[in-house]
Amino acid sequence: MNAIDTAIRAAAASITLAGITKSYDADTVVIPPMDVELKAGEFTVVLGPSGCGKSTLLQMIAGLERVSGGRILIGGREVQDLEPKHRGCAMVFQNYALYPHMTVGENMTYSLKVAGMPKAERVERVAAVAKMLGLSGYLHRKPGQLSGGQRQRVAIGRAIVREPGVLLFDEPLSNLDAQLRHDMRVELAELHRRIGATSVFVTHDQVEAMTLADRILILNKGRIEQFDTPKAIYHSPASVFVAKFIGAPPMNILPVTGDGSVLRLSDGQVVAEVSLSGSFQLGIRPEDIAMEGRVGDPAVKASLRFREDLGSHSILAADLADSVVRVATPFGADPADALHLTLIFPKSRLHLFDAATGRAIPGAFRAH
Amino acid sequence: MIENARSINIAASLILIVGIVYIIGPLYLTLSTASQSYEFMLRNGLAWYPGDQLFINIGRIFTETRIPVQMLNSLTVALSIAFFTCILSFLTAYALVYFRIRWAGVVFALILATIMLPLDIRVITTYQVASNVFSPLNAVLDATGLNDLIAAIFGARIEFEWSVLNTHFGLVAPLVAHGTGTFLFRQFFRTLPADLFKAARMDGAGPIRFMVDVLLPLSRTSFAALFVLTFLSGWTQYLWPLVAASTPDMTTAVVGLARLAPDQDGAVPDFPMIMAGAVLVSLIPLAMIAFLQRYLVQGLVLSEK
Repeated sequence: MNAIDTAIRAAAASITLAGITKSYDADTVVIPPMDVELKAGEFTVVLGPSGCGKSTLLQMIAGLERVSGGRILIGGREVQDLEPKHRGCAMVFQNYALYPHMTVGENMTYSLKVAGMPKAERVERVAAVAKMLGLSGYLHRKPGQLSGGQRQRVAIGRAIVREPGVLLFDEPLSNLDAQLRHDMRVELAELHRRIGATSVFVTHDQVEAMTLADRILILNKGRIEQFDTPKAIYHSPASVFVAKFIGAPPMNILPVTGDGSVLRLSDGQVVAEVSLSGSFQLGIRPEDIAMEGRVGDPAVKASLRFREDLGSHSILAADLADSVVRVATPFGADPADALHLTLIFPKSRLHLFDAATGRAIPGAFRAH
Repeated sequence: MIENARSINIAASLILIVGIVYIIGPLYLTLSTASQSYEFMLRNGLAWYPGDQLFINIGRIFTETRIPVQMLNSLTVALSIAFFTCILSFLTAYALVYFRIRWAGVVFALILATIMLPLDIRVITTYQVASNVFSPLNAVLDATGLNDLIAAIFGARIEFEWSVLNTHFGLVAPLVAHGTGTFLFRQFFRTLPADLFKAARMDGAGPIRFMVDVLLPLSRTSFAALFVLTFLSGWTQYLWPLVAASTPDMTTAVVGLARLAPDQDGAVPDFPMIMAGAVLVSLIPLAMIAFLQRYLVQGLVLSEK
């Protein structure tokens, strides 16, 4: 580690949300009571479709929105009634929100100036941050003269220069083009490793969530669907919503009925041998579906609708029991019969969800 | 659509020339008459060609009329109107855009309604208030019967009186509150990134600090544009100074200029001197436009750089 690495390093603070709620009036409840604990130094990504309350959640932590109920603790200190500046948080906004009339240096130093830090110290701090973000040559430019990626970097610099215990990101990459978004993602991950501040990152992009997060908090209509590591969320989604939200293409979900010995699709084909009865939703990831398998595994017949070749692999879309299933196969692997596919759903890769609630039924395929 | 037909070009040019003559003509007559002597005018009427008396006529404005004092009045009044209009408009727009106010839409609509009620329409009531600032209060006291009560208890009615006629304050105040400026600033604030206010709060800057450090510098061109516009309208105000200032030493240059024409019937006005006065009085707003026209355009197109 060099000197700059240690120069900007925050004392990370844990965040505890104890029963916080947000409602504008009796009818519009944005966030029903929510309990979450974010560990100090953890990188949490809040993921959800637009309108799920994720930005509201972030702004409540920041202090830009008042909570309607509950408590927020940052570093063990109750902060829900404090002004943003007393909470030790810094925030990076989606549209950068840089001060257009100030230079890059002034933008980054503004919060320190407001806080009354002596000028010499301020200059030193900004220089360190600018060097870290590769902005040293741009300190005297105005934001209007910078590219999108540079502006976003200034916005990040403005946030970390105060060495906050908590860093909040409100969809910071969604204004950037694909290549830049990828680069910034890598930079952000690296930055987090160096600074170590507790980070909360709001996005609707699952790739950002999977690559950046220590843990992902998936929100749906203000409720927590699942809060776990990316790996756990991918491999054992807690609900149909999570299963469909994560993965590209998303997990296949098929309605099935169990008669006590096997699970059948709506057209009567047997997909798995399980001693369960009732209606369920069966989930399987496109890459987990096999085209050939051991003798004895139940195989289902499907007819190919179209294929997409993506270079590294191909996606086959096939009609199966009134639904469309997607199958990921190695690129160039042609099924023997171009139209009629034989699909095998390996039992260990199946996910079973309650048909009514959509919640996962854990261990459904293990106890045999 | 761009037409290239020759006949259209010629017709358009002719229309433009007529327009230019229509505008430049009177200006030319003003200048040329201002540079002739009174005797020349008595013999020939308005001058069609310039003479050599311009500076003598201007000199007479300084020695024989109150125009110089009145120009100072105009300057004081127009600058005050411009200054206070800018401040008031900026503050009201700030409140309307950045704070959650109950009935904000209604408030804004009422402010806009003032554009439809210029001083010229409400000049009589405004004069009444200016002649006694407390007259609305007195009216309320009378109407509610409070004054009768007071009279019954203390033996005398209360009548407050404070006239602002013939004061600079009286000339300025009724013209300061005006919806146009609020509208201009509001529209400008709406072009700024919405998260700017939040970003400043995260940086620890409160509402006042945000206003001074961020909003004020960004609004520079809007300020300049509004300042020039209100200065010009303040400088050329005629009706209000005419009724609100009755002494020659308190009135403004534009009113003073009109008073240069003699009151008696049959006397021929000293047009060369009046025209010289007109030229003199126009110089200050002209200079203002010349210096600030860059901001005028920038401010009115409503965009941040």
